[in-house]
Amino acid sequence: MGNVDLTEIPESQKLAYIAQQAADGRVNLEFETDEGMTLNIGPQHPATHGTLRIVAKLDGEQVISCEPAPGYMHRGYEKLTEVRTYPQVTTLINRIDWLGSFANEVPFILAAEQLMGIEAPPRAQYIRTILFELSRIANISLFLGDLGIQLGGITVGFYAFRDREFVLNQIEAVTGGRFHPNFDRIGGLKDDLPKGWIAETKKAMEKMRAFCDEVEDLLIGNEIFQARTRGIGVIPPEIGLAYGLTGANIRGSGVDWDLRRDRCPAGLVYDKVDWKVWTHPDGDCFARSWVRLQEVREATKIVDQLLDSIPSGPVMAKVPRIIKVPEGEAYVATENPLGEMGYYIVSQGDLVPFRVKIRSASFSNVSIVPWVCRGVYVPDVISILASLYFILGDIDR
Amino acid sequence: MPPKKPTIPGRGLLKGLGVTFKEMVNTLKPDSRGGGPVTVQYPHEKEEPAPRARGVIALYEENCTACMLCARECPDWCIFIEAHKYLAPPRREGGKPRQKNALDRFDIDFSLCMFCGICVEVCPFEALFWSPEYEYSELKIADLLHDKTRLGQWFETVPDFEPYEGGSEAKVKKVPQP
Repeated sequence: MGNVDLTEIPESQKLAYIAQQAADGRVNLEFETDEGMTLNIGPQHPATHGTLRIVAKLDGEQVISCEPAPGYMHRGYEKLTEVRTYPQVTTLINRIDWLGSFANEVPFILAAEQLMGIEAPPRAQYIRTILFELSRIANISLFLGDLGIQLGGITVGFYAFRDREFVLNQIEAVTGGRFHPNFDRIGGLKDDLPKGWIAETKKAMEKMRAFCDEVEDLLIGNEIFQARTRGIGVIPPEIGLAYGLTGANIRGSGVDWDLRRDRCPAGLVYDKVDWKVWTHPDGDCFARSWVRLQEVREATKIVDQLLDSIPSGPVMAKVPRIIKVPEGEAYVATENPLGEMGYYIVSQGDLVPFRVKIRSASFSNVSIVPWVCRGVYVPDVISILASLYFILGDIDR
Repeated sequence: MPPKKPTIPGRGLLKGLGVTFKEMVNTLKPDSRGGGPVTVQYPHEKEEPAPRARGVIALYEENCTACMLCARECPDWCIFIEAHKYLAPPRREGGKPRQKNALDRFDIDFSLCMFCGICVEVCPFEALFWSPEYEYSELKIADLLHDKTRLGQWFETVPDFEPYEGGSEAKVKKVPQP
């Protein structure tokens, strides 16, 4: 209805109009109550790259209830994909989880390949998996630094930013983009590896392993860090599964579930390497952080093994120049740095997808915040939010 | 599950301080892990981006036939092309005059560009190239619209394509020499 002068509206419609306006505004009103004090954490916060508002109701120092209010960064990617051709979509979905961008492309491309009945050549599958793991390392190493920053240990943040650059340089050398590679194509990859890249990447992996040892000494072994994370924000496995937690959050609760091992989609070669899924039985903030640290270590091992065994051959299958995906539906999910990320593509045989549903891990992971933050103290909210680890763009898409 | 060691109080703190001290000494050494100081004094020293880095799009005007493929495939439609047709003299004596397209306008709006590289990839005549140059920020957003002269100037900064890693079957492309 827009801005309407209330005097112009007949008396009978006035009430309905006001009710409609109030319904629109209820998003903001529903958190305001009489009991306790309302504390807004966000939408802007210096330690977050993105905007998420968390409304906490406090009784003194204790949190009565805590409600995340996502939507400040909604960019409408699901709708935007409906007017973009398949090659154009990959450049958009890079921006969903901006710290591990390459991992966002892979499930979409795999789903489209599944619909078209194309399989990428083995060399492309290997390089795809390597880049997937590199983006995981870049993403989670920043998590470890961010965790330190949020809990008052700034040093590890600087080391994380420094050492993540080794991985980003490798991603840039092969894809051309540090953050938004846009490298994955239906039927293979855009380009092959440049000369000397394998040796350089092995060196970078050495450095990342040294970084992991450093984080272990600097942060994980630190008594203050342990005091602020051990026994805080405990998520029992059944509650975590009920809220749809995935990734390191559920593995930190002792559930041995990893899509890379359990449901590896065709097009990634995790079954050809020897690696381990780490779990931790405690389910607290420390467990989640520790599992993520082990994941970086494991990812460096996966990359090293894959680099040794890249087969020779082309990196692109035979694909028509104008890509039309045949009619059908497909859902492909992969284990992204944050958890399960999946794309449900409905195609009507057109140049553009008819509908794309993006299942991003952070949206589910943040849904447990009201449950896990009930009754904790205010400083613990920061530990819990930091250890749950969501990317704000991944929540809102 | 890591083995739980009986720890002396304050051991973790001291270990952390040890890491910080080690790193402090490392930055003083010229060729340590990470190679001395990590930062560079930007306007005086510059970091060299990778040759494949997507910095700015360069146009090689001679190769462009105004086929509009790049403008159509661009995800946010930030390429603007105008052209007119003209009759070129025939190649052989007595032949028909050839119809050719002359480029009037080729603009890329870098304030909209997402640096995805689709235009460079779809160009069938090798008229667009990536250059790793990155220093073209402007005070006014309208100045980010690069016209064909400006895009042509970037072409001088385009590096040669790198050779591929062993086991690759891809052919190394060549940058045209004007």
